[in-house]
Amino acid sequence: MLTPLAVTSKPVTFVEQGLYEVHEKVYPRSVTGVYATWRWLMVWLTQTLFYGLCWLPWNGRQAVLFDLTARKFYIFGLAFWPQDIIYLAVLLIISAYSLFLFTAVGGRLWCGYACPQTVYTEIFLWIERKIEGNRAARIKLDANAMSPRKLLLRVAKYSAWGLLALWTGFTFVGYFTPIKMLWVSVWSFSLGPWEIFWIIFYGAFTYLFAGHLREQVCKYMCPYARFQGVMFDPDTLTITYDATRGEPRGSHKKGEAYKAQGKGDCVDCSICVQVCPTGIDIRKGLQYECIGCAACIDACDQVMEKMGTPKGLIRYSTEHAIAAQWGWKEIIRHIVRPRVLVYTAILWTIIAAFIWGIATKSALRVDVIRDRAVLAREVEGGLIENVYRLHVMNASEAAHRYAITVSGLPEINMIGERIIELPPAGDRTFMVQVRVPPDSGKRGSNVIYFEVKAMADETTVIREKAAFIQP
Amino acid sequence: MQNILSVLWPSFLVAGIAEGIFFTLIDPRELYLFGEPVHFSSLATYSIGFFCFWAICAASSMATCYLLRTAQEFKGADQET
Ligand code: SF4
Ligand code: SF4
Repeated sequence: MLTPLAVTSKPVTFVEQGLYEVHEKVYPRSVTGVYATWRWLMVWLTQTLFYGLCWLPWNGRQAVLFDLTARKFYIFGLAFWPQDIIYLAVLLIISAYSLFLFTAVGGRLWCGYACPQTVYTEIFLWIERKIEGNRAARIKLDANAMSPRKLLLRVAKYSAWGLLALWTGFTFVGYFTPIKMLWVSVWSFSLGPWEIFWIIFYGAFTYLFAGHLREQVCKYMCPYARFQGVMFDPDTLTITYDATRGEPRGSHKKGEAYKAQGKGDCVDCSICVQVCPTGIDIRKGLQYECIGCAACIDACDQVMEKMGTPKGLIRYSTEHAIAAQWGWKEIIRHIVRPRVLVYTAILWTIIAAFIWGIATKSALRVDVIRDRAVLAREVEGGLIENVYRLHVMNASEAAHRYAITVSGLPEINMIGERIIELPPAGDRTFMVQVRVPPDSGKRGSNVIYFEVKAMADETTVIREKAAFIQP
Repeated sequence: MQNILSVLWPSFLVAGIAEGIFFTLIDPRELYLFGEPVHFSSLATYSIGFFCFWAICAASSMATCYLLRTAQEFKGADQET
């Protein structure tokens, strides 16, 4: 059975082990191959999105902006207010469900290819490699005493990391305050104290996580890494070393009749261990530290190629498949199992509901809140007045004029703005006073209705209920 | 070091969630501090809110850590005598 949760089963030793114990520094060796190419593709894709999307304009504003000050989220043509929280909740459910599904099918695909921790570590490692050289050179450099050259390399590396981290922090904050204004503020030295703080805070976290903690984040800090094991079953695709084929391991030369000597395909070159970003030996079986990055597959495939033996001594496979030595056809047949089908069905249902919800989202939203300070009061002419705060939100991409009316009680009248104008995705909060004669309606609470109607488009109309208090 | 981090890190995660939920439901402009409406900028309110949540969660984690440790120390003392 898999033991991805092994660490939690020994809580007592865990304390002594230490969270950031004197761990052996891992020097991942660089690797090329099919999966490395995929990983780099994902790095490019996710980071082009992250660093680029915030600069994209849309209808005169930032396309993706979580405007905290205005309490409004813009995602391209859609505007969301806190009242639309349900969409965010559903989106979270969809993400969680996809994660379940991907994990059940392909193990830690998320960790290996898409997780920001993996992606930034990959980028930081790339910088490290460019400046300090390959694995052997880095180990040597670390062992050397401080010298002018070492100092120079260190300063270069840390500054490159620092710049990238700051840029990341700046981009992050740029999703919450318009990034173009932020950029101008940087150069006119007029950044707000909290903006500076969050840029540095996020930057520092990136630097620390991707530059120094690396695999320790996955091993000790990530909640997903701890519970992903429960989503695995013996038909989940994981990175597996084929022990039947590889063992007994031992070095041998190309073309040697090693099989006759009782040796397996593994030449014990330990390259798979050297490339591993978490520093484990996959040949010991699946371990919870393995983030599924497939670096060891690429590495071992190269060795196998050199040795003239078939690739795939380490490969994506399932527990059942390795035990029964199945081919791909059989593996795929087992991947499509009830659990996966049920997950997929549920996921598509939620996605369909989500898309339907967004597509039919009303272009207008109205909130009516009774003023808390005054319940009801008598005004000139003996009329009874209640005060309301209206929040009108234009969720469409066009400017609109709205007419506001009130109904529900005999001789009801409204003082305040009857027509308001809102820009695309704009909103406004304002007060209105509603007055009725003292004999209108019953004593206590009466139901009244506010109607807000787009003047150019009769179909965009919202009727909101409110309570009118008659003393 | 390990104790400090195992207090700070989970509380950071939970504070993030708490912050998100709290400020989705509550507009910072509607908050009152000592009977006065909050007059900081929104960004400041959100930030201060986050650190308050973090501090509260950390306090709770710290209490857990402290209680766990005394339990172990008790055990250790028992075994020695
Ligand atoms: S890279 Fe392949 S051959 Fe080399 S030690 Fe690892 S499993 Fe064995
Ligand atoms: S064992 Fe292989 S797949 Fe797992 S983390 Fe190490 S290199 Fe990546």
